[in-house]
Amino acid sequence: MNQRHLFQVAILAAAVGTTGTLWAEETSDADRVHRAEPVDWNKGGGEQDEALHLEPDIENGMDVYEVCAACHLPEGWGTQDGTFPQLAGQHRGVLIKQMADIRAQNRDNPTMYPFSLPQSIGDAQALADVVAYIESLPMNPAWGKGPYGPGTEEYALGEQLYKDNCVKCHGEVGMGDVEKFYPRINGQHYAYMVRQFEWIRDHKRRNANPEMVEQIKNFSDKDMQAVISYTSWQPVPEEQLADSVDWKNPDFE
Amino acid sequence: MNALKSVLISISIAAATTASLPVLAMDGAELYVTKTCVACHGKDAKTPILPIYPKLAGQSPDYAYNQMVDIKSGARSNGMTAAMKGVMHLVNEEEMRAIATWLGTLN
Repeated sequence: MNQRHLFQVAILAAAVGTTGTLWAEETSDADRVHRAEPVDWNKGGGEQDEALHLEPDIENGMDVYEVCAACHLPEGWGTQDGTFPQLAGQHRGVLIKQMADIRAQNRDNPTMYPFSLPQSIGDAQALADVVAYIESLPMNPAWGKGPYGPGTEEYALGEQLYKDNCVKCHGEVGMGDVEKFYPRINGQHYAYMVRQFEWIRDHKRRNANPEMVEQIKNFSDKDMQAVISYTSWQPVPEEQLADSVDWKNPDFE
Repeated sequence: MNALKSVLISISIAAATTASLPVLAMDGAELYVTKTCVACHGKDAKTPILPIYPKLAGQSPDYAYNQMVDIKSGARSNGMTAAMKGVMHLVNEEEMRAIATWLGTLN
């Protein structure tokens, strides 16, 4: 057996050993991102339920969060360009569900995947801990807003679409529903929400709620931008925001 | 007098800033952190989060630069590149060059 062949076997073994079947069996990102059918959107059970009911240790959560901070920033504010979502202010159940889904490969996110693994984050307890820590962070007062502010034609369109399609689950100003794992969407970066909305509409985000997939299936790109822009202009309760856009998380100074 | 003084100071700061910007070399070490390379490849650029991700410290700057350019453009899409593609819009050619140069200086 020549050296090159040995090397390839070693790589393959490493891939299977460390990350399960995701990397080893599939050939491209497209396969992963375009997998046809949505999974059960919220089976619950297992690690998700376990993490939800554990008593969190915020101190440990801070240690766990260090790895998240490289992309989501020490403040948990993500980036206005939408590359990384704001985590601060998001419901605990939603965060736990997304983490559990990414690591169970129910939500395809190749960039985040390795960070969701037990060897990076830890077990269900660590999940509960880090989410409790994130919950303690104030939100970004300068989140990314869409291009269509109040007074524009698109804002009015977005407002109507929101009333007809979104308000029942996400609430008047987009606070979501803690009990039902419906995310809060006010205060989230516009560009991030557009990407997720598009993936949900186009069946690329497999852990989406099928009711939402059905609800938005006829949205044009223009409708999508209007309704998300409208959402991004909704207010966030003052007491949930940091005092200043210059606030820095003292835990990571 | 005070107002005049602060205006003058502002002007001189502005002048100094604009004048020096083009000649300032980009800080590869800083870009490595702010552009999120550090998240996957490790603080020392040789402790990747997964063993199948590459160690970059000491890599040939031209090789590292070419891989970044190809992953960004999609010319290279094999291996683990799916994980990196999603953040490549964060860097331009000059920044990739600065990061690659800095990586080459590490041991």
